[in-house]
Amino acid sequence: MAAFAAILRKDLRLEIRSGQSTIALFALSLLIMVVLVFALNPQPVDRARDAAAALWVALVFAGMLGATRAMIAENENGCMRALTLSPIDPAALYAAKLAAAFAFMAIVEVAAVVLITLFFNLDFGGDLARLTPSLMLGTLGFAALATLLAAISSRTRAGDLLLPILAIPLFIPAIIAGVKASEAALSGFPLAAASQWLGILVAFDVLFVTLGALLFEHVIRED
Amino acid sequence: MARLVVETRALTKTFGVTPVLREVGIQIHDGRCALLIGGNGSGKSTLLRILAGLSQPTSGDAIVFGENSRNLNVAGRRRIGMLTHQSWLYPNLTARENLAFYAELYGLADQNDLATKWIESVRLGASANDRVREFSRGMEQRLSIARAMMTEPDLLLLDEPFAALDPDAVAIVGDLIRTAVARGCAALLTAHSQLDLGIEMDRYQIASGRVMPLRDETRAPHRSRMGA
Repeated sequence: MAAFAAILRKDLRLEIRSGQSTIALFALSLLIMVVLVFALNPQPVDRARDAAAALWVALVFAGMLGATRAMIAENENGCMRALTLSPIDPAALYAAKLAAAFAFMAIVEVAAVVLITLFFNLDFGGDLARLTPSLMLGTLGFAALATLLAAISSRTRAGDLLLPILAIPLFIPAIIAGVKASEAALSGFPLAAASQWLGILVAFDVLFVTLGALLFEHVIRED
Repeated sequence: MARLVVETRALTKTFGVTPVLREVGIQIHDGRCALLIGGNGSGKSTLLRILAGLSQPTSGDAIVFGENSRNLNVAGRRRIGMLTHQSWLYPNLTARENLAFYAELYGLADQNDLATKWIESVRLGASANDRVREFSRGMEQRLSIARAMMTEPDLLLLDEPFAALDPDAVAIVGDLIRTAVARGCAALLTAHSQLDLGIEMDRYQIASGRVMPLRDETRAPHRSRMGA
């Protein structure tokens, strides 16, 4: 637990000091919103659906960038080898990297929710609060998957290209569930109306977190 | 009686079809220092990575603390201190933050005090609160050596520890290695040429992936004394 806390604290300190990931993720989210608002020209009747889709597009791209940045810091100066040699459980290392990616994404999502409210002319209020479960579950699942895949892709030459190719197809079912749950929340339906979609997100979270914890050790180990 | 810390048996490593290490067999006991001499690309770093469990041999075994390095457990990893060509330091953290982070990772107490003590030991006290990004290559090397030794390991794997160091730093690092070996640590150093730490060393030469013991008469005539 001490090692988990040490790695997470170090990642957050590095991010606070440089601000690179958060600023880049926020800028990316803003650009995505601008493009989608102009492309979709959302009408009142479709507003909730379009806003939910835009939010998840931002979430997925921000997640890939965030997970990649968290792993780049470890590969600079070979620090990942130091962590591999240190007496910490690889699952604890994975959990710390996952927690850092989750934190970066969550910060950006707060900004993204404000942006979609403004760009899609939504009301600030209870509907936005009802977004929280689907967004948190989606963020956890995508951070879990992207952290594992970023560890793989960061060791390859074309890693930046490899990550979306690997991550998005695997995450498509969760994206569909997330968009549907978010659309229900933004349309003013109660949480129970999206329970089946939230259930799918929970299942993917369990799957990706478990896979990540089990496979991370093999992913970071060299041949 | 000296205990065997490192033993390799017919250790072989190939990258693709290129052999890097061939049937390597070495032994290092506690309280002994071994020097592995070889040119660029001779396989020195690969051997150190295998001993640390960071890389897997193609065939043969590397036994470290009685365990196969393929499956080094947490207790075994805790007893290894390693220096590589990469510093394993975070450029955007200060020297003190870097060492305190590793101290916490290894479950050591009083991390900040310990970090300060080791920063002083490599004469970087004036730069303790500077970010590593601002360090020269030699300063980074000294801090990296402090990182490797801070945990008081039972096995030191030091890949070219004197590279990029000025004569004063060479003397400081030489002292630290001698102190570690005197307290019973086993050490494996690599270098491009002979060096003299002022202590008895088991010397090996590595060429074309083969490791051969060096006898006294095969030593190079010009040896530099490191800080003794």
